[in-house]
Amino acid sequence: MDEASTAARRRMAWSASFSGKPVAALWPYALAVLSVSFGLGIALLFQRLGFRAGQVPLLLFAVATSSWYGGTGAAALAFLLSCLAFDYFFTEPLYSLYIVPADIPYFIVFALFAALITWFSAVRRRVERDLRQAREHLEIEVVQRTRQASLLNLTHDTIFVRDMDDVITYWNRGAEELYGWTQEQATGKDAHELLHSVFSTPIEQIRQELLRTGRWEGALHNARADGTTVMVASRWSLQRDERGRPTAILETNNDITERERRAEEIRSLNVELGKRTAQLEASNKELEAFAYSVSHDLRAPLRHMAGFSELLQKNIASQLDEKSRRYISTILEASRRMGALIDDLLSFSRIGRAEARKSMVSLGQLVEEALAEVRRDAADREIIWKIGELPSAYGDRSMLRLALVNLISNAVKFTRTRSPATIEIGPIDHDPDQLGLFIRDNGVGFDMKYRNKLFGVFQRLHAAEAFEGTGIGLATVLRIAHRHGGRAWAEGALGEGATFYFSVSKTSEYKI
Amino acid sequence: MSALGRILLVEDDPNDVELTLTALEEYYLANEVIVTRDGAEALDYLYSRGAFASRSNGNPAVLLLDLKLPKIDGLEVLQQIKSDEHLRMIPVVVLTSSREERDMVASYRLGVNAYVVKPVDFHEFVNAIRELGVFWAIINEPPPGSIRKQ
Repeated sequence: MDEASTAARRRMAWSASFSGKPVAALWPYALAVLSVSFGLGIALLFQRLGFRAGQVPLLLFAVATSSWYGGTGAAALAFLLSCLAFDYFFTEPLYSLYIVPADIPYFIVFALFAALITWFSAVRRRVERDLRQAREHLEIEVVQRTRQASLLNLTHDTIFVRDMDDVITYWNRGAEELYGWTQEQATGKDAHELLHSVFSTPIEQIRQELLRTGRWEGALHNARADGTTVMVASRWSLQRDERGRPTAILETNNDITERERRAEEIRSLNVELGKRTAQLEASNKELEAFAYSVSHDLRAPLRHMAGFSELLQKNIASQLDEKSRRYISTILEASRRMGALIDDLLSFSRIGRAEARKSMVSLGQLVEEALAEVRRDAADREIIWKIGELPSAYGDRSMLRLALVNLISNAVKFTRTRSPATIEIGPIDHDPDQLGLFIRDNGVGFDMKYRNKLFGVFQRLHAAEAFEGTGIGLATVLRIAHRHGGRAWAEGALGEGATFYFSVSKTSEYKI
Repeated sequence: MSALGRILLVEDDPNDVELTLTALEEYYLANEVIVTRDGAEALDYLYSRGAFASRSNGNPAVLLLDLKLPKIDGLEVLQQIKSDEHLRMIPVVVLTSSREERDMVASYRLGVNAYVVKPVDFHEFVNAIRELGVFWAIINEPPPGSIRKQ
């Protein structure tokens, strides 16, 4: 196709150069002069040799040659020159341009012959020109079409054309890639048979829509050469000729198998999610019922154990020995401890369940409130407080307050062996999306080895008799941080104090 | 403090009844306590019917009401009292183990006069009951029509 296009281009350039230059316009006349001179020369030679009949055909031949190759203008010039030459050289009186009247019919017949030849050659030239133009047009068309076709071949999209009988006439590279049939294999085949197309709507309906609107779009299942099925989004456009008759259908296919599979996956995941959510809600309700019965039913026997042990102690303490009195006080202590555990566990579970009421809360003010609460229990202690400037946060006031109370009372508790104890509270700026505070103490600290255990439920790093507590306080702090889109973590060293960090999300977008 | 009000205790747990009575004994309030063991019995007392058909007239000075009760539970009893023209003035104190917010909210919606969570600690429990008894049976002026012992 490259050769064809360069040849055509060369031809176009050639004809353009000829019609454009003035020198080129003169060559038919030169041809006429030349051919007449040539014919005349031969005629004169024939005359010298004694042949007398050759002049007219030779001059007619010169006119014909001029008209054939040089056009009507050249023919006219050749005719005029031929007449003059004939008159001058071959009619009486010789070597004179005088025409005797008897010779006039002779000239007329000559002129008619010349006109006839000129007309014939003019017709022939016109036909030839038309043919050439048609061929050039055709070649240009072919070049353009070939270019378009090769452009269509550049795309990986599947494009093919079929005629109105569904016979494939064009099949691009994308189609080869998608279906596995080569252009040679596909061209000339019935498209629907080749692809085993399965339509979601009846084909007749599709055809009607295509003829009515000129287009159709829909999903199809087609088969590849290797037998696998592919789902495609198919677009059909109808091509019509200049008289409006449908001539071909251009079809593009996009492979949506993967997309459909994903969509199906998402649908089933959504269904699964719905189920899980329902399960989760159900188990949440169960948990709530459980927490309720813990709150209600577990307390009563505990109260009775404590109450009647107390009564027992009151009634017969004087009759008991030291050991028995210790037994009773152990029972009392254990029931008190269990009560505290239940209370803490309930408040921990409430943090997970309760609706959060969000507002702007000044952490500084909350710290003040928490300090007031904690100081009551530590009135006899010598504690140096260093409180820095604290930011405001968006969150649930009572939850944040509980977190601060837990953290501060923790610091107070674990500095019990220090006098004076130093507790420092200040803002942190570790993350552009978070705000929060740190609480640093000079207490007993902890081994960083166990820092992951610090925030777990019922996790304790100290013996119960050394520092009282249920092991839920920091788990509660962590849960509150998480419900505010934040974090809680700690740093420390054994015997060298600890620093606890608590942060919440700066934005109000998080779910709490 | 010239008169002692009568206390109606609605409590199904005999241990709690005993502890409550023990706590009230110290101020000699125990004798004035009528114990009913479920919601139905409490309503029978209030309406002087069934086993209480022949009781002396008048409403108790205060009702100490547990929420988790057999037959008719505490919230139903409370609803019945607060919707009855003759009973609605009786002060009702919910005395329960439940710290659950929904119980608290439901009780206050129905018009409870006080909501007390029974402390686990015996001393705190005794103190709470004692203060309740002293306040409602002695300090507080009960509504007209209450039974009072001179």
